[in-house]
Amino acid sequence: MSLSETASRKIPALRHRRREQFSTPARIAWTRRALVLALLIVWEIWARLSGNLELIAPPSAIARALFTDILSDGQIRAAILLTLFEVTCAYGLAIAIGLAMGLAIGATELARRSLFPIILLLYAIPQVVLLPLFMLGFGIGPAAKIAFGFSHGVFPIIVNVVAGMRDVNPLYLRAAQSMGARRADIIRDVIFPHMVTSFFAGLRLAMTMTLLGVILAELYVSTSGVGYFTRLFAESFNPAPLYALIGILAIIAILLNEIVRAAERRFTRWKHRSSWMRE
Amino acid sequence: MNLAHTSRRSARAYEAPVAIAVRNISQRYGDADSPQSVVALDNVSLDVRRGEFLCLLGPSGCGKSTLLNIIGGLVQASEGEVSVGGAVVRRPSPEKIAFVFQESTLFPWYSVAENFSIAFKYRGIGRSEWRDRTMVALKSVGMTDFADHYPDQLSIGMRQRVNLARGIAAGTEILLMDEPFAALDEQSRMVLGEDLSILLAQTGKTIVFVTHSLAEAVFLSDRIALMSARPGRVKSIIDVDEPHPRLPGFMLEQRFSDLRNACYASLHDEIRQAMTATGCAGSAR
Amino acid sequence: MKQRPHLTPRLIQFAFLALTIAAWFVIDTTGAISPLFLPPMESVWRAFLALVQTAIFWSAVRVTLTTILQAYIIAILLGIPAGYLVTRSRFLTALLEPIVSGLFAIPITLFFPLFILLFGIGTGSKIAYGAAYGFFPIALNTIAGFSNVNPRFLDAAQSMGLSRLGTLRHVLFPAAFPVILTGLRIAFFISFASVLGGETISSVSGVGRNIALAAELMEPARMFAWMAAVIATALALNALVSRLESRMRGS
Repeated sequence: MSLSETASRKIPALRHRRREQFSTPARIAWTRRALVLALLIVWEIWARLSGNLELIAPPSAIARALFTDILSDGQIRAAILLTLFEVTCAYGLAIAIGLAMGLAIGATELARRSLFPIILLLYAIPQVVLLPLFMLGFGIGPAAKIAFGFSHGVFPIIVNVVAGMRDVNPLYLRAAQSMGARRADIIRDVIFPHMVTSFFAGLRLAMTMTLLGVILAELYVSTSGVGYFTRLFAESFNPAPLYALIGILAIIAILLNEIVRAAERRFTRWKHRSSWMRE
Repeated sequence: MNLAHTSRRSARAYEAPVAIAVRNISQRYGDADSPQSVVALDNVSLDVRRGEFLCLLGPSGCGKSTLLNIIGGLVQASEGEVSVGGAVVRRPSPEKIAFVFQESTLFPWYSVAENFSIAFKYRGIGRSEWRDRTMVALKSVGMTDFADHYPDQLSIGMRQRVNLARGIAAGTEILLMDEPFAALDEQSRMVLGEDLSILLAQTGKTIVFVTHSLAEAVFLSDRIALMSARPGRVKSIIDVDEPHPRLPGFMLEQRFSDLRNACYASLHDEIRQAMTATGCAGSAR
Repeated sequence: MKQRPHLTPRLIQFAFLALTIAAWFVIDTTGAISPLFLPPMESVWRAFLALVQTAIFWSAVRVTLTTILQAYIIAILLGIPAGYLVTRSRFLTALLEPIVSGLFAIPITLFFPLFILLFGIGTGSKIAYGAAYGFFPIALNTIAGFSNVNPRFLDAAQSMGLSRLGTLRHVLFPAAFPVILTGLRIAFFISFASVLGGETISSVSGVGRNIALAAELMEPARMFAWMAAVIATALALNALVSRLESRMRGS
């Protein structure tokens, strides 16, 4: 046994480094796909063998139900589209109002020190307990769901905008001043770009939260919309369309997230471009 | 010290009119009576002549950077006043004065060319001139190929070159430089110093340069203002009589090491004092 | 103002609170908003006092707190080992971390009907749902904590001849701990909110169920009293946890 072999057997970190040579991005991506496929196969076999088909649906049945029960049903399609509409409205409102409030609070030291703690306090409240209140206030239609989604989405944006406006490198401010920048110039050329990373982190979190709020409200109202259909399928022990409906909504959630991430990549290109040189 | 006084003064520094007049500047942080009050600068007076390269050399925390910021109008002095070209400085005057800071102050979210553009925009220079002036400035530091790169794609040395070029491209008479080469390794520092000396000879700018490198000060300056530990005062002024552009050979001359040693001898006790003084932990900015 | 920089923000915060209470009061007296939506302050207070004297209140609180605790403990018992195992090799980390963080971007609430289907309408589904929500921040932060340990610490540990277990105990875990702690804090509040949410949406017992019930019965004062109890608990826990955390971090 050579010395290097002994060493690599004894030292875990060294083995790490060796294995690293093989983990190229392509290999990782292929393994990930294989893993997902393997999980689906295991699920299929397990579901069929369990004989518990009123609770567990095999992937093949879910895929079939997706076309036979979900996509072909105009009412379900309308419910899904309504949910999407609610999310879009709530998210748009959360961005507009969250950004405005964040900028106002982050603009001055005094505003930040006095109002930011209030925002953080409100953010810490488990908003879900207010859900019945939203229904009482806005009725069981889209307005309540939009409002509830908005109230979930707006806080992460405010918090991240305020946090992003803090900690601007003072040297950048000084340099801009020395070149004759006015206040508006400094906000546009220094504070905004500096804030953008944190802002997008807030946007991503806000998207998840808005979805959470809208879905919670949808499920709470079980007499119409997505909530009605999930209850219908669950109570009739018909899991395949239930899984399919949830799957569709999950795919929408993933797509919405990807849109935000694409926007982020687009606006922070200066960051990603730099990585090739550093590595 | 005697060496400094016997050296031949360059004609330029003698005859040129005063470009920057610093009169009895004091800078204090905190209330005068409070025990936390820090006196960063104490009654500093100094003349910088047109076309001169003046170094402010001193231990950390002696208020060199503060003095530079006061000259540039970025900081208001507690007492005394600075006039540039006869006018008292109260706020930044980008048409007369350009800054080059210690770290690169290129905004990382703008490409090199865009960084020049916003500087021109702030200074009110017509859009039609931007591209040409950018390329001329980049050419002077050998960075023309990198106009469309983002700052993070460049090495620290390249970034600081661009930063320097941006300061020069402003076309101001006066350039204030706050340890512009501090983040660089010694070799890049020397090369950039040579470049700067050549640029100076070509453009005839008035430069005030803050450093704590002895060799850099001697290599670049017409005059070196030696500053004491906090509270900062101008302790003495050493002349360096060597025409620009200066060549690397200058560093090998006996005169160079004599001047360097004279600076070190004068500053030695101040540096020790600055290192042991507890008040210097947070350098005043 | 120069001498007391903390005074002005405090005053503004106080003014904000005073304004909120005043606004509530004005709305009560003028009837600008239906009392169904915003009941008078004093009736909420009376409902609250009456509520805390009932056995229903305390049994609901006990159910909810036990559910939260069970969900949280399950999340920790699954999340930390899972996170640790994933970081045992760089390949596994690169393979699984994006899957875990990608899944976390999907609101688990979507799957809530499945939890009901699989675990019933009782506390079982809330425990599973709360645990699922708590699992992700714990696992993700454990992954982040262990995979970002400075490799020089590991080199140093090897050079000093530390065993595998010794390295884990003296180097890996202390280095990863602050990040894991953050995950534990986030997970607690997520589990807390999701158990309450599960109870509100669909359940037979617990605090959330009682809020929904009060709303269905159109008893706004009672509903507000329940909400106030939850909000007060959440804020108190928040203050307690951040104090605990800063003590554990030794700062």
